[in-house]
Amino acid sequence: MVIRVSHLHKSFRVHRREAGWLEAARSLWRRDYRVIEAVKDVSFTIEKGEIVGFLGPNGAGKTTTMKMLAGLLHPTSGEITVGGFVPFEQKPEFKKMMSLVMGQKSQLIWDIPPMETFLVNKAIYDIDDRAFRQTLEELTELLDLAPLLDKPTRSLSLGQRMRCELAAALLHRPQVLFLDEPTIGLDVHTQENVRRFIVDYNREHETTILLTSHYMGDVAALCDRVMIINYGRLIYDGELSVLTEKLAPYKRLEVRFSRVPDMDWGEYGEVAEIEEGTVVLRVAREKAAGTAARLLERFDVRDINIEDPPLEEVITRAFQEERV
Amino acid sequence: MNMRRYGRVFREFFRACLVEEMEYRSEFFGNFIASFFGVGIALLTVHIFFYQTDRLGGWTYGEVLVLLGVFNTLRGFIDFALRPNMPRLLEHVRRGTLDYILTKPVDSMFYVSFRHLVFWRLIDVALGLGVIGYGLYVERYVPSAADVLMFFVVMTASLLLIYSLWMMLMTTSFWVVRIDDLSFIFDSFFDTARFPGSMYRGAVRFVITYVLPAVLITNTPALALLGKWSMAAVLAALAVAMLFLWASRRFWRFALRFYTGAGG
Repeated sequence: MVIRVSHLHKSFRVHRREAGWLEAARSLWRRDYRVIEAVKDVSFTIEKGEIVGFLGPNGAGKTTTMKMLAGLLHPTSGEITVGGFVPFEQKPEFKKMMSLVMGQKSQLIWDIPPMETFLVNKAIYDIDDRAFRQTLEELTELLDLAPLLDKPTRSLSLGQRMRCELAAALLHRPQVLFLDEPTIGLDVHTQENVRRFIVDYNREHETTILLTSHYMGDVAALCDRVMIINYGRLIYDGELSVLTEKLAPYKRLEVRFSRVPDMDWGEYGEVAEIEEGTVVLRVAREKAAGTAARLLERFDVRDINIEDPPLEEVITRAFQEERV
Repeated sequence: MNMRRYGRVFREFFRACLVEEMEYRSEFFGNFIASFFGVGIALLTVHIFFYQTDRLGGWTYGEVLVLLGVFNTLRGFIDFALRPNMPRLLEHVRRGTLDYILTKPVDSMFYVSFRHLVFWRLIDVALGLGVIGYGLYVERYVPSAADVLMFFVVMTASLLLIYSLWMMLMTTSFWVVRIDDLSFIFDSFFDTARFPGSMYRGAVRFVITYVLPAVLITNTPALALLGKWSMAAVLAALAVAMLFLWASRRFWRFALRFYTGAGG
C-alpha cells in the first residue's frame, strides 16, 4: 500500500480573544489559549493507483490531514507513511515522489508565462532534458496547453491557470498526488475537463490520488471510494455506492404527466417535489421498478426516470449521523 | 547539499528573474543612472569631509574611498539577491504559498533567500569595485597577491555575515506578518558601515563592532586590501561569519518547526 495512516491526531493551540478594543489591548499581555482538536484518531490505508475522495464540511479536518500527509504539518500523535517515507521528515526523496495542488493557491510565477515556472521546477526536481521534454509533451496534449505556454500567467483565466498548475505539479512524475479543491471556482465545462484529465492520468500512470472537494460532481465522477470526515473524525470509509445505498435506501422517481392528477400519492411513495407537470417521488429501492410499472399502467405518463438520490443529499445525511 | 545542483537551480532562478524583468522592460538605463548618481554623491560627501581634515577616524582619503567601494559592493549584493526576497517571504507566509516551497526537494532557506534576484543591481557591485580601484589609485597602493587573497576571504566572510543577519531578520516574518518591509531595520544599522569604525565612540562603537558587526563587515575587507590585515583578524572574521550562519540556520529551522506545528 502507498499510504498508511494510523491513529492520527492533530490539535492546535489557538489564541482566543473577545471582541472589542479593550480586549484587544488586554490580549497584548495576557493571552488565552484554547486547544482545538482538528483531527481525532484517523486511520486508513490507500493502495497504489487508487483515487480516493476526501469529503467533509469546512473545518472538518480534510486539509489538515492532507497537509500532514504532504509533510507540511507535524502530527500531534499517530503514524503516517507515504510511499515508505514518514512525510514530516521531509526527505528530498519523499518530496520527489509526491506533489500537492491547492486550488486556492498558485505556484505559477505571476508575471511570466507558465513555461518559465516549468523550467524552474525542472531545475528544482533535477529532471533531465529528455524526461522533461517527454512529460511536457504528454501534459501539453492531455491538458491542451499549447496555446497557453507562452502567455503571461496573469493573463490566463482561472481554468487555464488550473490546467497549468496541474502540469507544473506533475512534471516530475509523482507517484502520489494530493489535490486540495482542484476544481474550486471553475466553470462546469472546465471542471469536467479537469476531471477527465485526472481520470485519464490516473489510469495511464497508476498515480495514487487523494482529493478533497466541495463539488459532489468531482467525487461522483472520480472516486469509487470516499472517506468522510466530520469534526475531525473519520465517519465513513468505503465505496461510494455502498454509502448511497446505506444512507439513501430509496430511489428518485421523476414522473412527467401531460396534466398532474390531483390525488394522494402516499400509496406510491413519498413526494419530494411537485411541480407543473412533474412529480418526484422517493420510493424504497426494491419497490422502485414495480412502482414505475404501476404508474405507467394507471396514468397517462409522458416520461419516467429512476435515479439515485443526488450525492449532496446523501452526504448531508452522513454529516448528521455520528458514525456511518 | 549538492553544490552543482544548487548552482543549476540558482542559474534557473536568475534566468526566470531576467525574463520577469524583461516582461516589464524595467528601466535598465534609469537604474543605471540612479546607481551612478548614488555613488557620485557618496564620493562627493567623502570629498567634502576631507576639505576639513586629512584623516577620518585615522583613515586617509584613499583608504576611506576603498572602504566606500567595499560598502557599495556589499550593498549591491544585498540589493541583488537579498532585498527582493524579504517582502516575498512575508507574502508566502501570509497567503500560505510557503506550503509549495516546503514540498520542493530543495533547501527551503536557499529557496526563500535566492528565488528573486534583481540582476541590474549588479551595477552597484561593479561601481563599488570601480571605487575600490580608484581609492587604491589615490592611495598609490598596489595590493600584493596575499592582500588580494585575504580580501577575497574576508569579503566572503562579510557576505556570509550579511546573509545571516538578513536571514534572521527575514525569518521573523513568521511572527511579524504585518510589517510589509522589515529591511529598514537592516538598513539603519548597515548604513553605519559606510565609515571607519574608529570614527564611532562609546556604546555605539561597541554595538556596531561586536553585537551587530556592521563595521566589521566593511572595515575588515577594506583593511585587507590595503595590506593591513592580520591572520588573527581574518580567522576571527571567518569564525564570526560561520557562527552567524549557523545561528541563522538554527533560527530558520526553529521558525519552520513553529510554522508546521512541530512544537517549539
